Amino acid sequence: MTTVRVSRRGFLGVAAAGAAAGAAAALPRRAAAREEVQPEPKAVGLLYDSTRCVGCGGCVAACKEANGLPYQDEPRELDCNTKNVVKTRHLSHPVAGGATSAFVKRQCMHCVDPSCVSVCVLGALHKEGRDKRDSGGEQRGSGIVLYDKELCLGCRYCQIACAYSIPKFEWAKAIPRIVKCELCHGRADPAKGGALASANPACAEVCPAEAVIYGYRADLLAEAKRRMAREPGRYNPKIFGEHDGGGTQALYLAGAGVSFKELGLPDMPENSPASLSESVSETPYLHGLTPLALYAAAALVVRRNHRAEAPDHAKDEEHR
Amino acid sequence: MSPHLRPKPIGGAILDRPMIALLALFGIAEGVITWRFLAGIGAVSNMNDGYAWGIWEPVNVVVFTGIGAGAYSVGLLCYLLNRGRYHPLVRPAVLLGAIAYSLGGASIVVALGRPWNMYWLAIPGMWNLTSVLLEVAICVMAYVCVLWIEMLPAVLDGAAESSSPRRSAFGRIWGGRLAKAMPYIIALAMLLPTMHQSSLGGLMLVAGPKLHPLWHTRLLPLLALISCLSMGLGAVVVLTAVMRQGWNARHDREILVDMSRVNGLMLLLYAGIRLADIAANGKLRLLAVSDLFLMFFVLEMALCLIPAFIFLTRRVESSRLRVLGALLSVVAGALWRVDTFLTSYNAGEAYHYWPSWGEISVTVGMAALGVAIFIAISKALPVVVVQETPVPASVAAFVMSALPGAQGRLQAGGRRGPTTPGTR
Repeated sequence: MTTVRVSRRGFLGVAAAGAAAGAAAALPRRAAAREEVQPEPKAVGLLYDSTRCVGCGGCVAACKEANGLPYQDEPRELDCNTKNVVKTRHLSHPVAGGATSAFVKRQCMHCVDPSCVSVCVLGALHKEGRDKRDSGGEQRGSGIVLYDKELCLGCRYCQIACAYSIPKFEWAKAIPRIVKCELCHGRADPAKGGALASANPACAEVCPAEAVIYGYRADLLAEAKRRMAREPGRYNPKIFGEHDGGGTQALYLAGAGVSFKELGLPDMPENSPASLSESVSETPYLHGLTPLALYAAAALVVRRNHRAEAPDHAKDEEHR
Repeated sequence: MSPHLRPKPIGGAILDRPMIALLALFGIAEGVITWRFLAGIGAVSNMNDGYAWGIWEPVNVVVFTGIGAGAYSVGLLCYLLNRGRYHPLVRPAVLLGAIAYSLGGASIVVALGRPWNMYWLAIPGMWNLTSVLLEVAICVMAYVCVLWIEMLPAVLDGAAESSSPRRSAFGRIWGGRLAKAMPYIIALAMLLPTMHQSSLGGLMLVAGPKLHPLWHTRLLPLLALISCLSMGLGAVVVLTAVMRQGWNARHDREILVDMSRVNGLMLLLYAGIRLADIAANGKLRLLAVSDLFLMFFVLEMALCLIPAFIFLTRRVESSRLRVLGALLSVVAGALWRVDTFLTSYNAGEAYHYWPSWGEISVTVGMAALGVAIFIAISKALPVVVVQETPVPASVAAFVMSALPGAQGRLQAGGRRGPTTPGTR
């Protein structure tokens, strides 16, 4: 049997490799997060104004029709047949005017820096125009999060990653897809120009109260601020999605005294979860340098130890 | 390596009663898997849009590969630290790793909704490099290949000892060639788990808003790496104890004590980093909220600190306490993994999840298949180093009472052990 022979050099090599690994692991704490993604100048989105919504459900029916989805009962949650839903949320305290509930419309937030796009193994979920495969008719700049089923493994990491729990999966199908709002990208009319050249969401088209409107994100932000300036007492002074989680392209206004949490929107950190995940996960790799260095170090040490052991073999053979 | 440390096939009938029981368990899983491909994942599981990974990802992938990290941790000790005396443990540990990782990979394919699209993975241009799961997938696939290549010497040694001269020559020639390439393959076997084990922890970084803050930290990758070393060392100590009972496998107390001490250090390191991280991020107040999360956290810490206490005191000398500690360290890592991926994950008020019998049967069936493959390969190929002294009567009696069919195996092992000739 080989005696314990830990040569000093062997230990030094290991110590060096260990230190490198340790440093690599410690780096993410110090490294600057990867740059925050900024909204694209032509990013389009929705502005939903909870104070204007009367909960008629017209947008839900219009969405189903535009997307060819079955409509039976009024849906309560998003699911693989429902890309858009209006929920009634009960409030903890009655607000001005005595209301004890508020409406909230839920659909894909089309994040500025989406978690689903960051985690999607082959980029099936991608920002418009950034598909890895030419699926036709896509142009960069709209920031719409689209789905290409031909690149989807059905791993459902998007469902785990999305802070808003938007992507839905066809659990009952042998050939399932991920289903989520794509902002009615297919209803775009290039002849119209402006935001309508990128998409034309049926929900916004049909809303009688302008509770949900569609347009460029920058214009929607301006409109939200205009509404708040006109009737400051009517609104929660925060626009959800302006900065939350790195910003979203679907923006939300809540009534005065109504928190976004009560509407069912999560408390988001200012930076996007994708930027945290990517910077922590990628920084230690130093663009591939760390694995190469670790491999070289390991190969050197293993080969030397391997050689050092060889004479033992010979000895064993002699004894036999 | 001296001849008495050379692994030998255990021998004996492969299809005995325990094997049939294990295969029956896998048969049930196979039925569920078939139905899943015909009728969809929802037909056999309680997974839903909130809990999209159910138990298959956290247990079959993340826990199985944690146990399979035995190959990684023993390999690190043996090859990098040049502790040659770990050699007798390497083959069983590598076989454990190869099986655990292969089954983890197979489980992913079962869990994928659209597995036929996997062919894109062969084209690096299609990879989304920001996806942690992509890194895990590629790295695990590569590592499964590396592990089975590491098992090839057992096959070639087996061939070398064959009575057919052609086979024997083939085994000797290719065994020698493979031995030359081995350091570079072993180095890969050191690098790849470092990458994907940390990435397995990193998978949940992005889910920050949905994870309980006691589990979500930037150090998830580091914690996963340390915890897999501990799980791996624990799994190999437990495996050695089981193989000793069943097959009279060589059992070098000193090595097991040493490994357990390293495990104790890993457990302390893990617990220390975890607590320091919680304190440094101002999360200590969460430990004052008495709820289910606190209970799981305390349980994890206890499962971590009890074996650390056993391993780092004189209690490590007791074989019974050592095996208990090793088992607890595996459970500690497994619980942290399940908590990080499932228990501490909150998909919102609309979703609830408890695994279905279908999901559980796939998980159990995959584990049973792993045990079955391990037994079958160890019986047919030189993997395990068998003790040459006769089995103590008390151990033999215990094994025979505990395992139906063990009698034949013990006799076969005993008969074969001293007579199998060494080559060269």
